[in-house]
Amino acid sequence: MSHIVRIETHVRDLQALTAACSRLQLRVPTLGTVKLFSSEVTGYSVQLNGWNYPVVFDLTVGRVAYDNFGGRWGEETQFQRLLQAYAVEKAKLEARKQGHTVSEQPLSDGAIKLTIQVAGGVA
Amino acid sequence: MTRIIEVIVSPTGETKLETKGFTGNSCREASRLIEQALGTRASEQLTPEFYQQQTSQQAAQEGQS
Repeated sequence: MSHIVRIETHVRDLQALTAACSRLQLRVPTLGTVKLFSSEVTGYSVQLNGWNYPVVFDLTVGRVAYDNFGGRWGEETQFQRLLQAYAVEKAKLEARKQGHTVSEQPLSDGAIKLTIQVAGGVA
Repeated sequence: MTRIIEVIVSPTGETKLETKGFTGNSCREASRLIEQALGTRASEQLTPEFYQQQTSQQAAQEGQS
C-alpha cells in the first residue's frame, strides 16, 4: 500500500446519481421545487422506498435536504444505500473516464469494493 | 508491479480509498481525481511504501560518498 484516504461523499454528478437510482430500482431524479415538511427546496428529487418526502440534492454544492423525522417518516438505511450506490457509480465513472479497468465485489459486511487497475504500465 | 486503487464504500456511504503498488508520491496523483470526484478528504494515512523511493535515493547517495 502507499496511502489510505477516507472521503466524505458529496453528491454532485447527475449521471452517477441517475445510475445509482437505476441500480436500486428507484425512479430517476427529477429537477424541481418540492415541499418538505418544514421547507421548500429546489434540486434533484429522489423518492426513496417508504419515505413520506423525497430526498432533494443540490448538485451545484453537493448538499442534500430531507425530512424523515429521525427515521419515523423513512428509514435512514434507505438513504445510506443511495449514498453507497452513488459513490460506487461515481468512482466507476471517473475511473473509466481515466482509462482504467474497474471490477466490483460485494463484501460480507455490506460494503462494496471496487478494484481499479491503473492504466499506463508498471510502477 | 501492478498499480491498483481500491475503493471500499461502506453500507453508510463512507468511502475509503487505498493505493497499492505505488512508490513515492505517485500514489497521491493517481488517486487525486477519484478523490475529488467523490467528495472531500476526511483523513490521509501514509504507508511505508510512500517513503520507499526517498529511502532508496538516500542509500544510493551514501554509497557513493
